[in-house]
Amino acid sequence: MTRNTRILMSVIYWAFIVYLFVPLALMVTMGFKDSKFIGFPIRSWTLDWYATVIQDTEVLSVFGYSMTIAIATTILSLIIGTWVAVFLGPNQFRGKAIIFALACLPAVIPGIISAIALRIFARLIDIEPGMFAIILGHTVHNVPFVALVVMARLSTQPKSHIEAARDLGADSIVAFFRVTLPYLKPALIGAGIFCMLLSFDDFVRAFFLGGYQPTLPVLIFAKLRSGMSPEINAISTIVLIMTAILGLWAERSMRRLNKGS
Amino acid sequence: MTFWGALMRNGVYQSVSTTLFKSQRRQFWILASVPLFWIFFANLGPILEMFWIGFLDSYPPKVGHEPQFTLANWAAFFQDRVFIIPFFRTLAFSFIFTAITLLITYPVAYFLAKHVSRKNQLLFLLLLLIPFWVGEIVRTYAIMILLGNNGAVNLALKSLGLIDRPIPFMYTGFSLGVGIIYLTALYMLLPLYSALEKLPDNYLEAAADLGAGAWTRFRRITLPLSREGIASGCTLVFLISTGYYATPVLLGGPRSTVFAETIAGFFHVAGDQWPMGAAFSSIMLIATLGVTGLFLKLMGRDGKGMMR
Repeated sequence: MTRNTRILMSVIYWAFIVYLFVPLALMVTMGFKDSKFIGFPIRSWTLDWYATVIQDTEVLSVFGYSMTIAIATTILSLIIGTWVAVFLGPNQFRGKAIIFALACLPAVIPGIISAIALRIFARLIDIEPGMFAIILGHTVHNVPFVALVVMARLSTQPKSHIEAARDLGADSIVAFFRVTLPYLKPALIGAGIFCMLLSFDDFVRAFFLGGYQPTLPVLIFAKLRSGMSPEINAISTIVLIMTAILGLWAERSMRRLNKGS
Repeated sequence: MTFWGALMRNGVYQSVSTTLFKSQRRQFWILASVPLFWIFFANLGPILEMFWIGFLDSYPPKVGHEPQFTLANWAAFFQDRVFIIPFFRTLAFSFIFTAITLLITYPVAYFLAKHVSRKNQLLFLLLLLIPFWVGEIVRTYAIMILLGNNGAVNLALKSLGLIDRPIPFMYTGFSLGVGIIYLTALYMLLPLYSALEKLPDNYLEAAADLGAGAWTRFRRITLPLSREGIASGCTLVFLISTGYYATPVLLGGPRSTVFAETIAGFFHVAGDQWPMGAAFSSIMLIATLGVTGLFLKLMGRDGKGMMR
């Protein structure tokens, strides 16, 4: 590799980083603008928009609603996803490739199609649009991610772990809870936080599966359609900071996973 | 400790446990029960149901009217340019966005995998990851602020004296492209990075020793050996970018309506447009999976391990 291409590539990398961060930085900055109008230049600064958000009971209740959905989704996704991984990981059987592909399907189906299909399905199994429908939709979407992360972790577990537990008299259930589950812990923390982010940030499923009560992304979308305002920036910035903290935490526990805790 | 010990010694638990795990076969089916139920009920069920509704003349069922089987919903798609144009526009957009994403992220992934020291790779990777944890709506909004008439790009151009009036970036295919690529680039970057990271340095050194120039090394070694990453990345970006709804609504304009908006229209209008929306969603699903299937075949591998 010549010197020039090396320099060129590092320039492209940093330019790409700028492309990723500048829009977000602008969005955060605009939340401190002392004017109703979104746009540059910014002449005076204020914290009022944050005060508005914190006192806005609608935003707070929507925040709680989204959080409830995210937590419920995460718990369900972890249970089902781990079960799928424990089943698909070590067992060999005919048709496994097809079952595996079907298990991953919701992760790759275009969002709008998945949302429409789930909306119709919720009607079929008689779930009203609202919290339960959204939880179902998010869980369907998140299970493949949990399953893949847990399967990756499971594949590194030495067989001797389980055998030792069995020799010491544990049956399958006890061996799973006492040996396998602790081994999976970092993967589960990482996958769980990832699920929370996916659920909390999801728009398209929440939009089609939701009832009158909006989730946070749906509320931001509705506000945006009626006009941009620095209040939206303040809400988005709060979400951004929370997301970054959760994401970094997930990343840390996944890292420990690679090192082999 | 004591809990599990007590549980193991508990008579009721012991008999339940022995009945459950009497044979390998029974144990397999107990383990398989929830996953198989979930995969067929929650993953496959809604898709099949959607296909089925596409063949009905009315849904949700109205009182006093049995839904009849019909092909009209599918036929309607082929009869109206209002539907066909957004459909092909969506496929074309996704195709172009995927290609651009590949061109942008390939050097980024290569730089990361080959030129950044092992120790720093995680840090550099993390820098790329952080913006992608932020949700679709927030990131779309950020692009609106960047490209608006009073946005940062126009302000910068104006203060440099390059333009007098703001350039209308917003509500065009361009703004939509910037937004979609912003949302999906990571799905290209990660597979490329993991493919390139596995590429042994000594292959390239050996080629250089044998007199291959930079371009030959890239074409004969790097590109073929990162093919799997390219295939996975393009598949993911293509599929995901066809599925965005909010981003085209917020960033696109009347001349860049995508099929997701067409489909959504059938569900927002109160009444029984559901069957047509279902049929159209099915057409889109078949088309997108068909395109990616063909693509993966051309790339010389099947869909297995797409997520890896």
